[in-house]
Amino acid sequence: MRSAKSAVKKSGYTKRDYQAFIYIAPWLIGFAILQLYPFLMSLFYSFNEYTIGAVPEWVGLKNYIKLFTQDTEFWNSLKVTIVYTLYTVPGKLIMALAVAVFLNRDIKGINLIRTLYYIPSLFGGSVAIAILWKLMFLENGLVNSFLQAMSLPTISFLGDTKYALKTICSLEIWQFGSSMVMFLAALKQVPRSLYEAAEIDGAGKIRIFFTITIPQITSIIFFNLIMQIIQALQNFTSAFVITDGGPMKSTYVLGMKLYKEGFSYFKMGYASSISWVVFTIILVVSLVLFRSSSAWVYYEDQGDF
Amino acid sequence: MKKKILTLILSLSMTTVLLAGCGGSGDDTVQDQAVGDTSGSSADNSSGAPAKASSDGDQITLRFAWWGGDERAEATLAVIDQFEKLHPNITIEAEYGGSDGYHDKLATSLASGTAADIVQVDPEVFPTYVASGDYFLDYAELGVDMGNFDEAYISLEINGRYDGKQLGLPSGISGAGLLVNKTLADQIGLDFTQPYEWKDLLEMGKKVKEYDPELYLLSMNKEYIANLIVFNYAKQLAGGTLIDADAKQIRITQDQLEEVYAYVKALFDEGVIPPASYQASYSGDDLQNDTNWIEGKYVATFTYISTMDVMTAANADVEYYAGQIPKLGSASEAGWASNTPQVFAITKTSEHPNEAAEFMDYFFNNETAMETLGTTRSVPPTEKARQICSDAGLLTEWTMEGANIAAAMGGTPNDKISSTNEAKEILFDAVESIGYGAKDPATAAEETLKLLSGLVE
Repeated sequence: MRSAKSAVKKSGYTKRDYQAFIYIAPWLIGFAILQLYPFLMSLFYSFNEYTIGAVPEWVGLKNYIKLFTQDTEFWNSLKVTIVYTLYTVPGKLIMALAVAVFLNRDIKGINLIRTLYYIPSLFGGSVAIAILWKLMFLENGLVNSFLQAMSLPTISFLGDTKYALKTICSLEIWQFGSSMVMFLAALKQVPRSLYEAAEIDGAGKIRIFFTITIPQITSIIFFNLIMQIIQALQNFTSAFVITDGGPMKSTYVLGMKLYKEGFSYFKMGYASSISWVVFTIILVVSLVLFRSSSAWVYYEDQGDF
Repeated sequence: MKKKILTLILSLSMTTVLLAGCGGSGDDTVQDQAVGDTSGSSADNSSGAPAKASSDGDQITLRFAWWGGDERAEATLAVIDQFEKLHPNITIEAEYGGSDGYHDKLATSLASGTAADIVQVDPEVFPTYVASGDYFLDYAELGVDMGNFDEAYISLEINGRYDGKQLGLPSGISGAGLLVNKTLADQIGLDFTQPYEWKDLLEMGKKVKEYDPELYLLSMNKEYIANLIVFNYAKQLAGGTLIDADAKQIRITQDQLEEVYAYVKALFDEGVIPPASYQASYSGDDLQNDTNWIEGKYVATFTYISTMDVMTAANADVEYYAGQIPKLGSASEAGWASNTPQVFAITKTSEHPNEAAEFMDYFFNNETAMETLGTTRSVPPTEKARQICSDAGLLTEWTMEGANIAAAMGGTPNDKISSTNEAKEILFDAVESIGYGAKDPATAAEETLKLLSGLVE
């Protein structure tokens, strides 16, 4: 392998090979301007005191030191973000898997049902759906009116620090569609022969699910896990629209803090340092998960790409 | 081969389009900055160079950004139409929407040199912009006729004059006021037409509860408690703004702030205002959407004069009036200030500052414009416009009364440090933690001062 590679290198690229760059230039330029440049600049700004409009002033690690030692809000936000992730990621995966299993059958009109279940995800992180959620869970909103009609005590979903974060989590969990579609595809990939063999051996439905289905779809579970964690750690829209970080900062996720520092207080340098902390957390969590994956993730092709 | 060439051409043209897109905006910024620089370095003839463009009769496009409701948008668009008919070579693009996120966007566009030619700005945010960059042009140098304005009014910093430069012009006269549901107040027997003190509100609150436990005296949320009760009570107690921005010192003492917070706690405890958990659903400028307000379950609300018509529209079945606003014994500082709800500024990056100035001149001084705009930005800023609106029956009674009451109080507007978003957020958090019973007034006061001192340095 190695010798073959170096042989290619020795011969170098032909003039024709460089033409490839022309073809991918639109993407390369877009990437450089819209992703790479902001990425590097935010790293630079995070070491500066930079008010919007003013000239950045180099302050070294000051922003980070302030963040970790003086800013009590930061630790609260970190805690809220982690709790949010711990609620939504397993919640969403279990929900998606359960619905996928339910929909993985051949009955009349199954495609329509699948589409209906996927609809919430189409709205994605949209503001409209967050506003809908807000109206539903208001003190005298739809859900409470319903509870009242059933003679049950009403709950201050958005006003009580105990419930606000959970209400927001439920919005995220409700949008399980994209994970569900992937689970559905994975379930269809599981060889029928395995099920047939298990049935002949007399295994029950639940046993089959845990010993055949789950191990067979671990690669998709892994993929969904990583994607959902990344998404959860970056959450902003629902916290911003529904509760504005309140009450009592109980939904003040890191994304909210980042936005407030940057766009309300105009402290872009400080906001950039927060974004790099979030980035580092995501990076570390992803790496740890990737490391652990060899122990529990099954690839049909042995993981070779 | 033919296919290959075709794809090559295609991808090249895509690249060019992409580059052109980026390059275009890049050029603009450079040009914008160049204009900004000229007017900056030779401030005296800032009106000189760009004026040529208009005399050539070229088509000119101006951008005008504001926030506000439908009524304001309709009136403003109508004035733009009138102006465009008089000046066929000028087109004005309107950029308008809600107030949410308006200033976040404005801050970024100012910094990147892409802001509209004329921008509407919150007077309490304006100082932050003035301090962080050289973004706005002086109206006096642009030759806008300011004769209709009261000199004492426009010379205030909050109304747009900074270091002798008229960087902004006030859109109206506003301030805070008390909007009273007359129908309900009369039923309970409460009178807000005579001067009263802060502590009287607690008594009145009790009376309301005795009348009907479902009712509250005041519709409030944490932002309004902080902005209207805490700030004004604190200013009256401290004999001035919370912070002495010039001396970079905090003026209010911990004991004074504790007293204010204890008052806020009493408002919650006595049920004068709804519980914090209820308020949380109607934060910010959302009080008119509170179903309890719509159903007429509040006797009154502290609000902004410019918002009174919005509040009355939410429950139009009852009668209203503007009540007196509370005082504090013999305090020398009245607290309650009367100033403009918005300022209009012409940005330095404007390529056609003279035409923008011409439009502002029309906007403020033309009689048709005055009548068209009416009271969509609170009580008009000039005597002439007030007369026109009053004659046309456009000024509601409570708005006029409210403006008079606020003007009669004549307190000092908030200083530029305590009116920043960050300082306000500190107070919002303190009020919230008192409302939820998470902190007692003493702890909250201590923490607030500690956090505020971080902003003063």
